[in-house]
Amino acid sequence: MNRDGAAKISCKGPKESLVRIGEPPVYWKSAEELQNGARPLGEFPGGLPGNSPSQQTEDTRRDFLAMMGFTFAAAGLAGCRAPVQNAVPLLTGSDEIVPGVSNFYATTCGGCPSACSLLVKQRDGRPIKIEGNDRSSLFGGTCATGQATVLSLYDGERLHGPLWKGQPVQWPVIDGQVRDALRAADKDKRPIVLLSGTITSPSTLHIIGEWKKRYPSFRHVVYDAVSLSAMRAANAASFGRAAIPHYLFDKARMIVGLEADFLGTWLSPVEFARQYASSRKPEGNFSTHVQFESGFSVTGSNADIRVPVAPSEMGAVALALLRRIGRYAGVTDVPDSTESFADSKKLDAIAEALWRHRGESLIVSGVQDLSVQMAVNALNSWLGNIGKTVDLARPSYQRAGDDAAMAELVEQMNRGEIHTLLLHGVNPAYDYAEPERFTQGLEKVALSISFSDRRDETSSRAHAICPDHHFLESWGDAEPVDSHFSLAQPLIAPLFNTRATAENLLAWLGIESGHHTFLRSFWRENIFPRQNERPDFESFWDRSLQDGVVVVPQKTAAPPVNAFHGDWKTAAHAIVNEPGRADDRYQLHFYESVALRDGRHANNPWLQELPDPISKVTWGNYAAVSPKLARKLGLSEGDVVSLKTEKGQMQIPVFLQPGQHEKSISVALGYGRKQVGKAGQDVGANAFPLRRQSTVNVTLEKTGRTVKLASTQRHFYMEGRPIILESTLKQVRMESAAAESGEALPSLWPEYPQGEHSWGLGIDLTACIGCSACVIACQAENNIPVVGKDQVQRIRAMHWIRVDRYYTGPEDCPASVHQPMMCQHCGHAPCETVCPVHATTTSSEGINQQVYNRCIGTRYCANNCPYKVRRFNWYNYTENAKFDFNMNSPLGRMVLNPDVVVRSRGVMEKCNLCVQRIQLAKNLALQGKRTLADGDIKTACQQACPTQAIVFGDLKDAHSRVAQLHRSQRQYKVLEELGTRPNVAYLKKIRNTTET
Amino acid sequence: MSASAMTTIATGVQTLHPPTWVEGNPSLHRITDDIARPLEGRPGKGWWICFGIAFAALLNLGGMVTYLIASGIGVWGLNNSVGWAFDITNFVFWVGIGHAGTLISAILLLFRQKWRTSINRSAEAMTIFAVMCAGLFPAIHMGRPWDAFFIFPYPNQRGPLWPNFRSPLVWDVFAISTYLTISLVFWYLGMIPDLATMRDRLKDRIGRIDKIRKSVFRILSLGWNGSHRTWARYEIVSLVLAGLATPLVLSVHSIVSMDFATSVIPGWHTTIFPPYFVAGAIYSGFGMVLTLLIITRQTMHLKRYITVEHLDKMAKVTMLTGMLVSYGYFSEFFSAWYSGNFYERFHFINRATGPYAWCFYLMVLCNVITPHVLWWKKMRRSVAALFVISILVNIGMWFERFVIIVVSLHRAFLPSGWGMFYPTAIDIGVLVGAFGLFFTCFLLFIRFLPMIAIWEIKGVTERAVHEVIVQEDEAKVAHA
Amino acid sequence: MDLAGGGLKALLMGRRFLVVAVLALGLGGLLAGWELSRVGVHQGYAPAQPIAFPHKVHAGDNKIPCLYCHYAARTSRHAGIPPASVCMNCHTLLEKQTVEIEKLKEAVQEQRPIKWIKVHNLPDFVYFNHSQHVLSGVACQRCHGAVEQMDRVQQMSPLTMGWCLECHREHAHIATADFQRVMQDMTHRPVPVAGLDCTSCHY
Repeated sequence: MNRDGAAKISCKGPKESLVRIGEPPVYWKSAEELQNGARPLGEFPGGLPGNSPSQQTEDTRRDFLAMMGFTFAAAGLAGCRAPVQNAVPLLTGSDEIVPGVSNFYATTCGGCPSACSLLVKQRDGRPIKIEGNDRSSLFGGTCATGQATVLSLYDGERLHGPLWKGQPVQWPVIDGQVRDALRAADKDKRPIVLLSGTITSPSTLHIIGEWKKRYPSFRHVVYDAVSLSAMRAANAASFGRAAIPHYLFDKARMIVGLEADFLGTWLSPVEFARQYASSRKPEGNFSTHVQFESGFSVTGSNADIRVPVAPSEMGAVALALLRRIGRYAGVTDVPDSTESFADSKKLDAIAEALWRHRGESLIVSGVQDLSVQMAVNALNSWLGNIGKTVDLARPSYQRAGDDAAMAELVEQMNRGEIHTLLLHGVNPAYDYAEPERFTQGLEKVALSISFSDRRDETSSRAHAICPDHHFLESWGDAEPVDSHFSLAQPLIAPLFNTRATAENLLAWLGIESGHHTFLRSFWRENIFPRQNERPDFESFWDRSLQDGVVVVPQKTAAPPVNAFHGDWKTAAHAIVNEPGRADDRYQLHFYESVALRDGRHANNPWLQELPDPISKVTWGNYAAVSPKLARKLGLSEGDVVSLKTEKGQMQIPVFLQPGQHEKSISVALGYGRKQVGKAGQDVGANAFPLRRQSTVNVTLEKTGRTVKLASTQRHFYMEGRPIILESTLKQVRMESAAAESGEALPSLWPEYPQGEHSWGLGIDLTACIGCSACVIACQAENNIPVVGKDQVQRIRAMHWIRVDRYYTGPEDCPASVHQPMMCQHCGHAPCETVCPVHATTTSSEGINQQVYNRCIGTRYCANNCPYKVRRFNWYNYTENAKFDFNMNSPLGRMVLNPDVVVRSRGVMEKCNLCVQRIQLAKNLALQGKRTLADGDIKTACQQACPTQAIVFGDLKDAHSRVAQLHRSQRQYKVLEELGTRPNVAYLKKIRNTTET
Repeated sequence: MSASAMTTIATGVQTLHPPTWVEGNPSLHRITDDIARPLEGRPGKGWWICFGIAFAALLNLGGMVTYLIASGIGVWGLNNSVGWAFDITNFVFWVGIGHAGTLISAILLLFRQKWRTSINRSAEAMTIFAVMCAGLFPAIHMGRPWDAFFIFPYPNQRGPLWPNFRSPLVWDVFAISTYLTISLVFWYLGMIPDLATMRDRLKDRIGRIDKIRKSVFRILSLGWNGSHRTWARYEIVSLVLAGLATPLVLSVHSIVSMDFATSVIPGWHTTIFPPYFVAGAIYSGFGMVLTLLIITRQTMHLKRYITVEHLDKMAKVTMLTGMLVSYGYFSEFFSAWYSGNFYERFHFINRATGPYAWCFYLMVLCNVITPHVLWWKKMRRSVAALFVISILVNIGMWFERFVIIVVSLHRAFLPSGWGMFYPTAIDIGVLVGAFGLFFTCFLLFIRFLPMIAIWEIKGVTERAVHEVIVQEDEAKVAHA
Repeated sequence: MDLAGGGLKALLMGRRFLVVAVLALGLGGLLAGWELSRVGVHQGYAPAQPIAFPHKVHAGDNKIPCLYCHYAARTSRHAGIPPASVCMNCHTLLEKQTVEIEKLKEAVQEQRPIKWIKVHNLPDFVYFNHSQHVLSGVACQRCHGAVEQMDRVQQMSPLTMGWCLECHREHAHIATADFQRVMQDMTHRPVPVAGLDCTSCHY
């Protein structure tokens, strides 16, 4: 049974299961201990004989062995015929680390510059699950990428130590080389440049400041692969502040988005998703959302009104609105421009609604174009949104990229002026618009040092690689939004011989005190004084470390935000006079995919296998074209086409995307990595090089080749079936508040005996934005294997929760709905009666339980499941060379959740409502001598959901949130008419079409 | 009752020209010689060729199954939308084939159908081999046959934990194992007198092989001595067994049909399934009997005993059951339309117009159109035509099961869960392999065991029939 | 007459042969069944430990509570084998020296973790939580037998599913009646309930 699965992990003695893991982590109970090494226990007064500090690392290393030994051994050994099994306890006991008990620590996500605050589950010394930090005032829940970062920690492709000219060396060697180089550069005033992605860490920025002081010729260039520099420039011109404003979608009643996927990838999706959902409650306030976009984005899929617009027409959209709002605001000289993209009535209505909600409306644009951003700024200020929904006084630091500076740097490099180049969190050789230009420049640099954690396109060309920690291994802090601070603390001692970038920067400044000490002193001097809750620093520090987040009053000396004084007229004319596009050509639209973002996570198999929220395609990108265009050109799905711009061209398969603007072709960035690791190598095609010049004149040619896209959903229309019920705000408001009581259909089956609880889910389809964070959360929590492209093509993806997405309405501009679909835990489950061996039954608490070790794999249950949520293990996905993903290496298997069995070949599996969490909660209640309270248990999907669309709880407790949802007037159950009596209720999808 | 009455009338009518189930009125000794020839002589080229092909297929099956079990069910084309395809299709197909045997030997015996005598033995053998093939698939379709014992109810240390008696799969286990046992007993019992005959024919042979065969036959014939008492009891036992076997003929496939009928899937969830499956089973069973007997009578020179009369009779049964099956198809569509059930309607429209429509039309061609060819006597009596038709019937019935299983699954309730099934080489390999197993067994059977019931066929020769008539007349006279 | 055949015939027809054959088959079947039923059951397993730690002396003679050393059993799914430091809590103070105690101190001095041999092993598809049982008032001896009388620990119970269920069935009373629920709410003490659901142990 599971013998072949989990046992293979557990059968290993602690030793051999570790040899390949590299330098195992140090156990630490507190900040101090991590610094000074483990100290003997209080209960052991004299200290252990021979427990001298010199032996500390050795000692703790053995502790780790001991722990691992214990966990692995205790994980069970049914399959091993020989019952001999070792249990190796800690040598020195610990009052915090109890084998088998998980601890949670707050930290900050390093998945992207949004710097969400996290709570990380650490089990037996290993971080194994990432959760959102509810203490945070900005964030809640996570995104799919954030969830998956825990797997990147156990990525075998990470470097095991520093490299000098490709050769492994010790840190002192590197330090020596770098110090000499810096000295040399400093002597003859040659520029030293730190090229980094957006850095939200105030302490690191402080260090960089120190560098500026120490080396006059030092310069810091910030480069984002997908940058918002145009917006920064526009804000500088409009408000005298080159910053990204902090948007407040929750304060907006009328939201207009221009090519800004703010729910999926743009700026700070988790934060925005949370705000967005909170502003769209059918029972309370419900904002209106209009989205103008060319491709079909997650955000567009949630809009009340979505208008497909060619990328080149975004300016025109802004102008059209500007003109109308201008009339209201008494500005009449807004130049005319084309309005072919939408009928003027609609635009009038939108403008009218905007004006009606002035002060509580919001227009955001993701268009990387100064004049468009200027127009948007004008709009927001005329509508009086500045300071209300657009906060520039407390700006966001989540994107600081400066394209101009980057371009200049590349020129300098090519002129051979740059002496030393430090690369941190960037990969220009892959994602810069002109990669070869950058690489040529890189060769002319005297000393190039990359802090990348692996050999990637850029770091492999650098002289030295000083691998950075994974963020779960390092200290740190972040200030995503002005005066909103969050701390990061290590969850595990570095797996490899790596060093934090901040540590390096300090070391090369000659500050040897170490990063942690510096961080503390920085906080003591800069953050602690700004608050007045805690009198002494220690308690402030501990509290901050525990909560992970601190909000302090704003600096008094914040630069003032001037009123809008931007020159919108020139911008408007620039838009009007923009060179039009040839009509026989097409326009390229680039976007970040929800899973891979800008490509930095390409080697994460969880993310590679995460279905795109809209197309449901996994393992690769594609050129999304409208069905109309496809018919015109005789293209069908999977046909490989070559897209040609003036300079570049790429070959990529076609995907037919309803709602795609017929003149535009959308391509996801972040794919086609050349050097990243076995999972991400050459998956999809790299679109970055095509961004080098205008993308409005693109030709498309068939190559004749076809490839099969690996999609997890192949049929996108509901065929008129009552699967997702929709309604408009008006209807809901008019309907009587009394819920139409869903009278249970008569049944021949006896009612099941019910225990104390009846667990169930309530899922609000209005709140669900389809971001798919729940999918990865479930995968991480329940040890769900990655099966690879071929198996996905064969319809064998293993995700327990999937987000179904259906289109309604016309093909050229359909509305779309997302529906998280997992086991419905039917009271009268069809799967149950047909299983010959009782491997699936309904528990006394209403869970449809799947017993892996009883299952003999007839697949009858899956056939008879109307929801098709059951997943069969067609092969062994663990320790199987054919499936060489994280489950095939001891390192990758460290992420497994010891409380959930690893399923083996021939076994059916499915969602079991995170029963391990239920059991744990019961146990904790028992330990606390109390009864379970509502909210004690959160399923993985619920915890991850940024919009709180999923609610778990006890249906027997009338006051529980889930019970209330089940009584809601929007409540319905999928395929109820079959008499399955699901314990999962859905709340109707509501659209607000009343406003316009 | 009425049926038997009809038969007596029939015999009454045919008194003057008794039906000749054996051509050319051979002597009893000649009959024994003819039927024993394949066992005692060397097999002909035809047999060797057939056996070579069949055995190769069997070896292929072995390889395929080994690979399957070594690597996992994933080597088949199955997926999360279509959890059953070739595996269960083959299973139902073979169970169906297994129906004709017992029908012929049991029901026709009860109905006193004399023409069954020369075909029942091989039909029963066919049944047993077919059920063996059928049994193979549930075992391998799990991918881990060593866990199959969970399905049997036996006292265990798990609580104890019993199988789920609500599950049709458990019913299958009982139904099929019972069916196999009864058929086996029935087949063996029927053979005992002939085994004794073979034993006695070998009395004065002295070759080493003959010695071995002699002792084998001796053991198998359980010391049969052909005394009147033995015969009398023998008759009773076979009647009782026939009585036992008759309901099984109907029960087995009814229960197999419940694997589908008790589910919620549109296209499966139908009350007409049991009768419709039984009819289909007999239809395919007779198709296969025709195929086999035509091959045998050609290769084994038994035209005299397996006459055109037999083929004609079987053709008639085939036609009848074929039309029953057609009615089943029709009523499925009708009830889908009449019920107004959205999902049912969609399913049957999809069946006729969806991506698998060609399977559906092939099925209709073979099972609905083909049987009507048999209205013509010429066709019923043309061996070649019958052979072709019987093959078509088998193809049609295989596709019927494929359509029911795969087409129903590939587009069930939630469109998000829709997906296609494409067979892999392993799927096809196993399908072919099963035929290999079947034909290997059958060819060995006709080589080593008396494939026609010698003692029974002797009872329907003209001589025997005359005696019967004479006796009947005397009886009438006495009555008067 | 054909002797071999005749002999064979006689043998087969003889009643004695039949009786013997039937008996042999029957016994063989029973034996095989029993053997099969014991597969994976290691009742009575008592491996020699690296340090011959006598529970009899500690838990029996000196009455050290089980949970003093196996403190994890209160909060964790694992009872936990005590860290050497816990042993040293007493053994630093006690003069008594034996070879085995020497082994312990040696291990501590050399910072060498002790590789104990696990006696009670459950299959990996079973989730057993010690704290759940300890807190519900299940005596350690209920499953582990009279460890305080053992010099070398031995697996007393079969640890089969049936054996678990025996006990669970006894204690599977759920507070369904309103009165019980009210009492429970008043006392704020959940009545420990032994689950009979599959997911009580399998997930």
